[in-house]
Amino acid sequence: MTIETGVRRPYVGQNVLRSNDPKLLTGGGRFIDDLHFPDMLHATIVRSTLAHGTIEQFDAGAARAESDVALVLGPEEIAATTGLLPCVWLAPGQRMTHIPIASRKVSYVGQPIGIVVADSRAAAEDAVEILDITFAELPCVVDSEASIAPGAPLLVPEWGDNICAQVDAGDPRDEIEEVIARAAHVVERRLRIQRVAPNPMETRGLIARWDAADESLTVWMSTQTPHHCRDHLATALALRADQVRVIVGELGGGFGAKEHLYPDEVMVCLAAMRSGRPVKWVEDRVESLTATLHGRDAIHRARLALDADGKFLAIHSDILGNLGAHPSNVGLGPFRVSMGMLPGPYHFERAGGSLTAVLSNTTPTGAYRGFGMQEATWVRERLIDEAARELGLDVVELRLRNMIQPHELPFTTRTFQPYDSGDYPEAMRRTVVAARAEANVTSVGRIRRGLGFATHVEFTGLGDSRSQQIVGFSLGGYETAKVRVDPDGSVSVTSGVTGMGQGIETGFAQLAADHLGIGIERISVRLGDTASAPYSATGSIASRSMTVGGGAVVTAAGKVRDRMMAIAAHQLEISPNDLELVRDASGRDVFQPKGSPDISLTWEKVAESAWLNWNVPDEFNTIGLEETFVYNPASVSYAYATHAVSVAVDLDTGLVKLEGYWVTHDSGVMVNPMICDGQVLGGIAQGVGIALYEGMRWGETGQPTTTTYLDYVLPLSVDIPNVKIEHMVTPSPFIPGGMKGLGEGGTITSPAAVGNAIAAAVPEIAGLLLETPFSPSKLWTMIDEAGLHV
Amino acid sequence: MKPPVFEYRDPRSLDEALGLLNEYGDDSSILAGGQSLIPLLNLRLARPDYVIDINKVPGLDTIEVLPGCVRVGALTRIRRLERDPKIRAVAPALSDAFQNIAHPQIRSRTTIGGNISHADPSSELPGVLAAYDGRVQLTSSSGSRWVSWSDFFVTVFTTTRESNELLTAVEFPTDQNFSYEFEEIARRPGDYPLAGVCAGISLDGSQVRAARLSAIAIADRPIRMTAAESALVGVDISNAAVRQAASQAAAAEINPMDDEHGSAAFRRGLVSTLVKRTLDRLAGVPS
Amino acid sequence: MKSEIRTIAMTVNGEQVSVDVEVRALLSDVLRHDLRLTGTHVGCEHGVCGACTILVDGESARSCLILAVQADGSTIETVESLGSVSSLSALQEAFRENHGLQCGFCTSGILMSLCAAERHGEDLEETLGEVLGGHICRCTGYQNIRAAIEAHWAKSVTQ
Repeated sequence: MTIETGVRRPYVGQNVLRSNDPKLLTGGGRFIDDLHFPDMLHATIVRSTLAHGTIEQFDAGAARAESDVALVLGPEEIAATTGLLPCVWLAPGQRMTHIPIASRKVSYVGQPIGIVVADSRAAAEDAVEILDITFAELPCVVDSEASIAPGAPLLVPEWGDNICAQVDAGDPRDEIEEVIARAAHVVERRLRIQRVAPNPMETRGLIARWDAADESLTVWMSTQTPHHCRDHLATALALRADQVRVIVGELGGGFGAKEHLYPDEVMVCLAAMRSGRPVKWVEDRVESLTATLHGRDAIHRARLALDADGKFLAIHSDILGNLGAHPSNVGLGPFRVSMGMLPGPYHFERAGGSLTAVLSNTTPTGAYRGFGMQEATWVRERLIDEAARELGLDVVELRLRNMIQPHELPFTTRTFQPYDSGDYPEAMRRTVVAARAEANVTSVGRIRRGLGFATHVEFTGLGDSRSQQIVGFSLGGYETAKVRVDPDGSVSVTSGVTGMGQGIETGFAQLAADHLGIGIERISVRLGDTASAPYSATGSIASRSMTVGGGAVVTAAGKVRDRMMAIAAHQLEISPNDLELVRDASGRDVFQPKGSPDISLTWEKVAESAWLNWNVPDEFNTIGLEETFVYNPASVSYAYATHAVSVAVDLDTGLVKLEGYWVTHDSGVMVNPMICDGQVLGGIAQGVGIALYEGMRWGETGQPTTTTYLDYVLPLSVDIPNVKIEHMVTPSPFIPGGMKGLGEGGTITSPAAVGNAIAAAVPEIAGLLLETPFSPSKLWTMIDEAGLHV
Repeated sequence: MKPPVFEYRDPRSLDEALGLLNEYGDDSSILAGGQSLIPLLNLRLARPDYVIDINKVPGLDTIEVLPGCVRVGALTRIRRLERDPKIRAVAPALSDAFQNIAHPQIRSRTTIGGNISHADPSSELPGVLAAYDGRVQLTSSSGSRWVSWSDFFVTVFTTTRESNELLTAVEFPTDQNFSYEFEEIARRPGDYPLAGVCAGISLDGSQVRAARLSAIAIADRPIRMTAAESALVGVDISNAAVRQAASQAAAAEINPMDDEHGSAAFRRGLVSTLVKRTLDRLAGVPS
Repeated sequence: MKSEIRTIAMTVNGEQVSVDVEVRALLSDVLRHDLRLTGTHVGCEHGVCGACTILVDGESARSCLILAVQADGSTIETVESLGSVSSLSALQEAFRENHGLQCGFCTSGILMSLCAAERHGEDLEETLGEVLGGHICRCTGYQNIRAAIEAHWAKSVTQ
């Protein structure tokens, strides 16, 4: 897994081609379902077909009698031998803090209630059909507003209502109300962000193997967080952490959906321990749409208060968040982040939010790319466009008038976000200039055109640990990198973060090569195995792999380089300050005294002597060339961007076509601009999905109706125009290397930009554009009611 | 998501296939292109006792462009039909409709017989067959019969094909006096249409002698919009008001239902738009 | 009730193979799990996502919508028939150079659709529209896939 030569140092800032592409392009990637083990069994998860009720009977007699069925476990047997999964991000007063692996109580369609293990997947599915399961049905509720209505069916009757927790953020409510009360203009809207499914193209899956002699469990798993899964597997299965090893191969996308351990995954491990044979389970697409955590599903009653001159005074949102059947691993987290990030890049005298998070008989909601920030941006940026429309102001001018200026940074918002560095107005100006110069905004006949803008500031690089403690997020916010130069001069880099298609392996190799000062072809990056990777509680979530993980690699690589320099200087009997590491005419990495190219020591020679422990400086108190650096960042880093999109709306069909897209983005130092662009582009496509296409829906009885790709619509190539991306580079003041995160920015802002563009194209319906997605039917109906069909 | 257990039969002749249909009838599903049946099997929404795979039956993959009609054998793949220059020459709207079906990777397998006999009301070809006043050939061990489109489609996924019959051929009449246009509105190319219209007119100069207008995805089967057709007969197609009146007549006569993909009013609006667009093109007016 | 087993013979990536399959087995599963050609990925098993696209007798098709028994006597081509890690095909190289993949899960199917398009002489517009239209990619936002196709068509196909 090394990278081809031909690119010269420094590698950071160059479009180094990705190290794992040849493998992926030739079908050589090892995704979970690509692995085979001798004697392996295949599992199917038994799921609730009912939205709410209790299991009165789970009779597996007929299934167990089938010759190709190895094992069936029902809810009682599973619950009897498994512990509870802890929610790691708890809100103050959260009424539910742990999740059972299985229970007789069912609260959503798709909830795992048992497992069947057989010789083949098909045989396991056959056996599920002959299980005799009877349910006692209870009335159900799927909608969050219905969930808090009087008389709503209760998921936890002893609570007396469905409210799991209520949390405020930002300024005290009375102070916000006081500012709003004296404002010249208040724009108030009810905005809604629909329920979406993350849809990594590779669904979840794992293979569990129990070694009875060793009493150890090895799990090959499609996850973004191998250590977290290991810890929670140990908890759930009453094992010691050192008995569990989690290995991640290729990941076919994660997007937040694979950031924790799911109860059905525990069942698979339990089945492997019971059967004594390796057990594979790969989620099918219907399961993925119903049993993998969803994202979003929030209703905001939000207000933007302005003075007579269009100066922002206050922003506030009352959020009703739908947790689904139980709080997920991150629970109220996304809705809380919405409150924290509501102010965006603007000044406010007061800002904050009030969250009510409720249970419903739906799939739980959790982490999904954009994590509360997309919702906050949707709410804020639509409100600003609405304010501009009501006040007759230009949407760009109104934004620029209220933006935090670069000289004001660092700047702590009213919601306690310590923005670090950048130039928010400049990002907006650049986007606006490019878009206004190039966009076609000429309406012709029944085709209306418009250009919309939106901007955001993005919380990236989850850490530091102290901040995590303050918000009750029980995950260490640090990352560890281990850099080792082996005796032959080859270099291995390991980290607790994972590759999931984002190309982090290549980025780490670029960082390590630069900070070691050698050719990138020497470096291999190995991630994802808890037996060899340093501990990482948090893993690859929250746009943190390159910031926190990369910061650790930079520092660890620098330490190894210093060690190599010290050894070489010692052997050449000069000061390290008089030594340089260069690539000589024959392509070798060599240490030589500055200005004396005829005297040199090769990289390999120094590596060899270090591991022999020959001719090393006397003051060395360790042997070898391995450095482990634990990096706990001083603070969060904040990326930002402005997006512009031009749309054409067909008044007669309600179809929206995106015709042009412009982005100015600042994620600090770009290790690999090609990969950075790719992250922005992919993020935008997911945001366009939210704006126009995607959405989970349920029928009256709590049955999901969007369980295949015929009903759950994902963006295709034709939906996504070519995007012109301009990057600004304001290095993070904290992160070694200066990187900021960028995995989520594209998704965060694109829905608001699309919404604002539709509003610009059809101003007659602008005030109605409050709930994504804008399906043709929904838009056509608004257009019709606005009297635009004659 | 794996198919349930079934017994598999792959007859090597039409007689053998018809014999199996006689024997298994309602307990069997016919496997042609498989692009509708196999998803249903994978989802276990279809669970036939027998799958009768007719792909090895010879002689069913014919394309004949005859005087007055295009006749296609049931096993002919759509991908082949859409590339056929002879069909495009005599029935360009039919070729356009072929290309609106799903994606090339699906059309490489989809057969015309399977597509039409599946009787999906959102499917393009049944609607085109309706506009062309076409018919299908049903064959059983006791012989063949030709059934007009209007007698064939009953409701969603239901036709008058008897369980011992096989759809063996489809015929699109190609009256040289008629010109056709097909257009559908889908969220993206390849998606199931939200509505589709196939419009055909026969002209005497600019005067409409006869009109055939069909719609898909607005009822439980393809329909003809006879009020709109009547409104067109005898009028001057170059008159925009006439085309507008026909589109309004079409919207008024259909009776769509609200569903997850749109309201009844939306569907009426789409059909009105589509009738107008297809008639505009038939009148030589750029949309 | 057990599924009937049949022996089928296919030419897969140029090699004659014979394999015993359940009659209900999908071609995608037989290629992946019996023949261990795991480069063909399965994303939805209902024909929409396109990840499992392969060539059957030279035409692109969804291997999840074909029973393996139907492939008896067919010529099958999968991503493994293209270049190797040390010698990528021109199309694969174009994907790499243009960052036309991220997680790589959907990529095999896209490559096979493009192979068919190239062989059938599809022009760039049809390839970008119709052919790529039959695939879902959740990572790239498609732009760099289109760039890879444009580069490859400009360099290798149009001439």
